[in-house]
Amino acid sequence: MTDGVPAVNIAHVSVRFGERVALHAVDLRVDRGEFVALTGPNGSGKTTLLRTLLGFQDPDEGIVEVFGRRVEELSVRDRARRVAWVPQSEPQRDDVPLRQYVLYGRYPFHGPLDRDSEEDREVATRVLSEVGLSDRADDGVLSISGGERQRAILARALAQETPLLLLDEPTTHLDIAHQLDLLSRVRALSRDRGVTVIAALHDLNLAARYADRIVVLSRGRRVADGTPRGVLSEDLLARVWGVAADLAVDARTGLPYLLPRRLIEEKPAAPASLSPGPVHVVGGGGSAAPILRSLTDEGYRVTAGALHLLDTDAETAEALGVVAAVEGPFAPLSDLTRQRHRLLLEEAKVVVVAPFAVGPSNLANLEDVRAFVHRVPTIVIEAPRDGSLDFTGGRATAAREALRAEGATFVPDAVAALLAVRSALSTPGHPTSPRAAGSQG
Amino acid sequence: MLVFLSTLIGLPDIAPRLGFQILAHQLSGGRLFPAACAGTGTSPGDCPKYTFLVWDLYLPEVLLALTVGAALGLAGGALQGVFRNPLADPFLLGISSGGTLGAALLYVYHIGEASADLFLPLFAFVGAVGTGLVILVVARGRYGSVETLLLTGVALANLLSAVLSLVLLYNLVGSEQVTFWLLGGLQLADWQVDGIAFGAVLVFGTLLCLYGRELNLLQLGSDVAQSAGVDAPRVRLRVLLLSSLVTAVAVAFTGVIGFVGLVSPHIVRRLLGSDYRLVLPGAALVGALFLLSASDVSYLAFPGSLLPLGIFTAFAGVPFFLFLLYRQRRTTTMGSG
Repeated sequence: MTDGVPAVNIAHVSVRFGERVALHAVDLRVDRGEFVALTGPNGSGKTTLLRTLLGFQDPDEGIVEVFGRRVEELSVRDRARRVAWVPQSEPQRDDVPLRQYVLYGRYPFHGPLDRDSEEDREVATRVLSEVGLSDRADDGVLSISGGERQRAILARALAQETPLLLLDEPTTHLDIAHQLDLLSRVRALSRDRGVTVIAALHDLNLAARYADRIVVLSRGRRVADGTPRGVLSEDLLARVWGVAADLAVDARTGLPYLLPRRLIEEKPAAPASLSPGPVHVVGGGGSAAPILRSLTDEGYRVTAGALHLLDTDAETAEALGVVAAVEGPFAPLSDLTRQRHRLLLEEAKVVVVAPFAVGPSNLANLEDVRAFVHRVPTIVIEAPRDGSLDFTGGRATAAREALRAEGATFVPDAVAALLAVRSALSTPGHPTSPRAAGSQG
Repeated sequence: MLVFLSTLIGLPDIAPRLGFQILAHQLSGGRLFPAACAGTGTSPGDCPKYTFLVWDLYLPEVLLALTVGAALGLAGGALQGVFRNPLADPFLLGISSGGTLGAALLYVYHIGEASADLFLPLFAFVGAVGTGLVILVVARGRYGSVETLLLTGVALANLLSAVLSLVLLYNLVGSEQVTFWLLGGLQLADWQVDGIAFGAVLVFGTLLCLYGRELNLLQLGSDVAQSAGVDAPRVRLRVLLLSSLVTAVAVAFTGVIGFVGLVSPHIVRRLLGSDYRLVLPGAALVGALFLLSASDVSYLAFPGSLLPLGIFTAFAGVPFFLFLLYRQRRTTTMGSG
């Protein structure tokens, strides 16, 4: 710890499998005690990089050093005292008791004739408690749950007492609670015991939450490296994964998180100022969310209202960057909110009314739409005829019928509504959708 | 005790008391029962004959059964560990067939006849190890696949027995002697054979038992084993070589006796769990008892006949093998979580 020798020093490492280049001149230096998340699309070289550190894969070029020693010069046993590995999963055929399974990790400390020592048993007890499995020590590995098994694998690796721990997508088979549990335990080990951790992780939000540093690989190259805040960006997701995402900052932790939206197939949508619209969507309770997404994906400028905070539609609108008139949770629409809503309606080139549940608190939405139905094309998605969305004793149904009487276009579903929006916004000589415009231009 | 009983079971013509006295006389170097046959109603003139029967004919058979059974049980346990496959067995994998071919070549072509007792295991070893290496190469990287492994073994076993048939067909002289390998039996037993077999099995078997820890880790896959400090390729090679060695010793003297290697480790696992540090010696013990019991039962069921032991173990082993196959299929479909 004194001489400044890094835990890991990968210099100019290339690995080829026949024609395919798995790693291309990768440099990576990891200091002792760091928690590094290694991420990148499938096939980007994460696993190959970990395998070079384990000595499973000899690099075609470059050097791989662990605590100042070339990996290929270490014996298998010496390597196992420096580097431990937690795989994605492990084949389990024999139902050995958990404690014995964890003791397997003590192998590098034994000669062929040694029995398990007192120290081995102490280590096993300690690591089992560190992963929260003390009370399952005598249960068979086949009898515990998947989440517990992954923790057992971690315990087996920890029993090697190595200063470097490699994890290869350890959370792949776990539910969200177990993902958080496993990674926070690894995080704690790294902090409390100074263990250097390199974890290949698919989930960028988990990576941002637990790692000190994120290294991004793409097609065998290191394309980004730094703190979660410095690395995660909408641009990175677009470039490396081909995914359009929204970046936000968690107000409590101050950490960035990404909300993936869709695949970027061809060209990105036209810039906002040139986008047609706005299309105003009236909804609530999640009824408008799919329409909001479709419209933004097609490149329209979209507004929404009047929605209630905490409502699915409000959250969707926020995530999509849709301007919306929003009221407090469950409150009746205030005059101020209605005023904002009417402003949006006034600007709209088309209005879409989603089949939303109407109660006393949001009945005003339909009244406001009615005020503009003469001035802007209005597309109403049919609500169920049985009145199951009407919680106003028939007033909502009456309001919808009034819209029909005053010339609104009624369509059966969201797809038909989208088509109606396209034709409403298309003028002779202009393409019908902005996406089409993008690909023609 | 079991040895004693088994010796007597093999000799229905000899009264238990006479047999006991002869054994005690020989074991104590003549101090007990100075006149071995006294008081048993046997004429003193017949005593050397009976002594020969008990001491030089049947006792070596019993001891060979124990040695070979231990060798096969141990080889089966080790192979199941190294191939991570509960269906592995030197017989099913063709390693026994390879050994048989090696030994048959020696017999048919009269190579090194003068000290056949030493050359037999040597030739059997070359055949057995060669087969083992072919399996290891063919099954490389797919150790988990029951199908690849068994099919490779079955194919090799077939090929080897075809070669053996060819050799026998063109060399009718000496082929009767070879036939007993195909059936398996203890008839070759004498003190020299026992000594060689026991020595070899003791040395190689002990070495094999030292790989318990490594085999435990290999069950978690090569990569995990390697990350925990096991030099997987080297361990696999060594365990396979040692297993072939002990198998070769068994095959050289008793021919092909199947299913002992398959059944014994499973019995041990059921009793003692899956720790290979216990499974290997346990399988040797169970294998020894299993083969001796098979021999006893065959003597009891068909007194006086020389029913080949291989036939007998097959009768006990095949149903067990089918049961394992059935159970394995059930657990792979149910336990895929």
